[in-house]
Amino acid sequence: MTPAHSAIKPTQWIAFRELLWNLTWRDIRVRYRQTMLGIAWAVLSPLSMMVIFTFVFGGTQVSTEGIPYALYAYCGLAPWAFFANSLNGAANSIVAHRSLVTKVYFPREVFPLSCVAGALVDFCISLMLLFGLMAYFARFGGHAPRIGSALLMLPVVIVVQILLTVGLGLLVSMANLFYRDVRSILALALQLGLFVSAVVVPLPSRGSTAYALLSWNPMVSLMQSYRDCLLHGRWPEFGGLTYAAAVGVVVVGVSAWLFRRASPRFAECV
Amino acid sequence: MMSEPAILCRRISKRFRLGRNSWAIRGLMKRLGFHRHDPGPATHDSAKIWALRNVCLKVSPGESVGVIGPNGAGKSTLLRLFARVLKPDAGELRVRGRVTALIEVGAGFHPELTGRENVFLSGSILGMRRAEIRSKLDAIVDFAGIGRFLDVPVKRYSSGMHARLGFSIAAHVDPEILLVDEVLSVGDAAFRLRCMERMRELLSGGTTLVLVTHHLDQMTGVCKRAIVLDGGRVAFDGAANEAAGHYMRAVSQAHAIRATDVVEGEDQRAIVGDVQLRLQNDRRDEAPWFRAGEAIRAEVSFCLRERVDSLLIELNVRAASQELVLSFNTGRANRSLALESGRHQVLLTIPEVPLCSGQYFWNVRMWDGDRGATLVDTPMCFPMVMDDEGKGTGRLALRHEWARITGESGEKQKSAPIETTLAPVTLPREKELVG
Repeated sequence: MTPAHSAIKPTQWIAFRELLWNLTWRDIRVRYRQTMLGIAWAVLSPLSMMVIFTFVFGGTQVSTEGIPYALYAYCGLAPWAFFANSLNGAANSIVAHRSLVTKVYFPREVFPLSCVAGALVDFCISLMLLFGLMAYFARFGGHAPRIGSALLMLPVVIVVQILLTVGLGLLVSMANLFYRDVRSILALALQLGLFVSAVVVPLPSRGSTAYALLSWNPMVSLMQSYRDCLLHGRWPEFGGLTYAAAVGVVVVGVSAWLFRRASPRFAECV
Repeated sequence: MMSEPAILCRRISKRFRLGRNSWAIRGLMKRLGFHRHDPGPATHDSAKIWALRNVCLKVSPGESVGVIGPNGAGKSTLLRLFARVLKPDAGELRVRGRVTALIEVGAGFHPELTGRENVFLSGSILGMRRAEIRSKLDAIVDFAGIGRFLDVPVKRYSSGMHARLGFSIAAHVDPEILLVDEVLSVGDAAFRLRCMERMRELLSGGTTLVLVTHHLDQMTGVCKRAIVLDGGRVAFDGAANEAAGHYMRAVSQAHAIRATDVVEGEDQRAIVGDVQLRLQNDRRDEAPWFRAGEAIRAEVSFCLRERVDSLLIELNVRAASQELVLSFNTGRANRSLALESGRHQVLLTIPEVPLCSGQYFWNVRMWDGDRGATLVDTPMCFPMVMDDEGKGTGRLALRHEWARITGESGEKQKSAPIETTLAPVTLPREKELVG
């Protein structure tokens, strides 16, 4: 005999995983069904941003350590799109599934998680394009790609980003239940965050006050790590990546605990 | 040997907040004492109601329990607690076994996806494994009767197909505990029958069933036991037939006052006004609650604003399903009334009403026979509750007897046919009260 509200049992995790897969698959399926461009939408958003930013910053003195600016920007915009799409989706995910939340019981974590998973699929597609761009610049831009053993670190960097994203995703999906402002605040924060996370412009020089403030942002280390292993062919800075990973673990731990505690009340609040 | 209960409630209570949550900035300010003038009733926002109060219930594995009661009695809340969607505010609730809640048909359906895709999606939401769904796909599609539409997006489905597919998925989950909330009202009659059949099938396989419904005959058809909820409390817990009777008595008492109410919204220029109908049983109870076979006295009272030479009155009785079951007409009995203006009363006596348990509604119609004009046609607003003490199902509880016919010759004796003797239904008489 078990109490009606208990933690997820290990046997339920398999069913949970299938449900997560099904919901993610549904989201992807639905997103590109009855669209003209289909799966191309996955790359259109970071690609168009890249074009705009190249247009604005391309001619200026942005220190990209010799990387063509378009490549530099895209390498930040692709993971940033993953981050932003996940969170924007997650914030709305539980509210959007109100009829399910109030009527069927299953771990509510699937909603924000499936948003992250769906965005991850898009991210993988946009990474393909990044390699395409690198090939293009090697052929026509005269920029030889520096691909080396550091590429092995890419999965690690992605996992760290997933940790951060899942943690924040759980948090915002829950918070948006209680205050619908969360979604709007989040959209605003993500717009501003683009400029303080070293996505399209590098951080101010080391030693400045701005640097000291901005380097607390774990996304900064992540963006630098992506560029290190994808564009520069060097191993990511150990300290920065470890810091981002530590923040990720803490955020996931805290928000998963909060989520589990609050989820029995979701059906009443939504 | 006593087995462990499938569902065990010990004094569970559930409270709901009526207003918004008061954590909005304005509410916070108010709480912290920053408000200057109170813009509205502050207490309303934080008002709470008890949807369930100290409910104790034990359901054994394999039992079938109906939950009935008026709207707002807490039926759905109870079911959602069992489904783990809600958490009780007080008390202890234990649910043992795989629960499938049929609270919504087509849980998680996405209109853009095909029927097949939705079966897998909805199935996994209801807790089925993919391999399990794959093995049951044919049965699910067969049951829903959607055949060749399986690979068509669900948005192209008719609402009936949508509902049938949704129910079919849920009905194939093979739960240990099945919770059903008023979903059988969807789909056509044939599909409803199949649903009932499937529920009985699951029951005989050992599934525990909790069924929330307003259809009493549906409930008594499937459930052996039922509880009546009223105002969040268990008002009755016992055999399904008795529970239905208990509920209907309660309903009829609640309606007793309304039944004699004036029909609202009447036209001031109308010739007939202030129509009232009073239904009385042999026991002179005011409540329109009748035992099957008992006499009914229906007293129509109305006001005439001018003289009518040939007034025809018709009383109709419809079942809750809107089906017309009885109709009494002065014209058909070759009686027309010549009445002066003023208040009049007409009494219809039916010595024996052989209707089965259920809720019925009366209405009153009047014509001017000379001019052929309808003078009044009330809505079906006068309720009546019949109670045959759970003896019959169907519409009529006719007097009858069974007998075994023993044949003359020895060979034919085995195939003993059975004979039914029907008592002739006594024709109603109508009688005028001098007003």
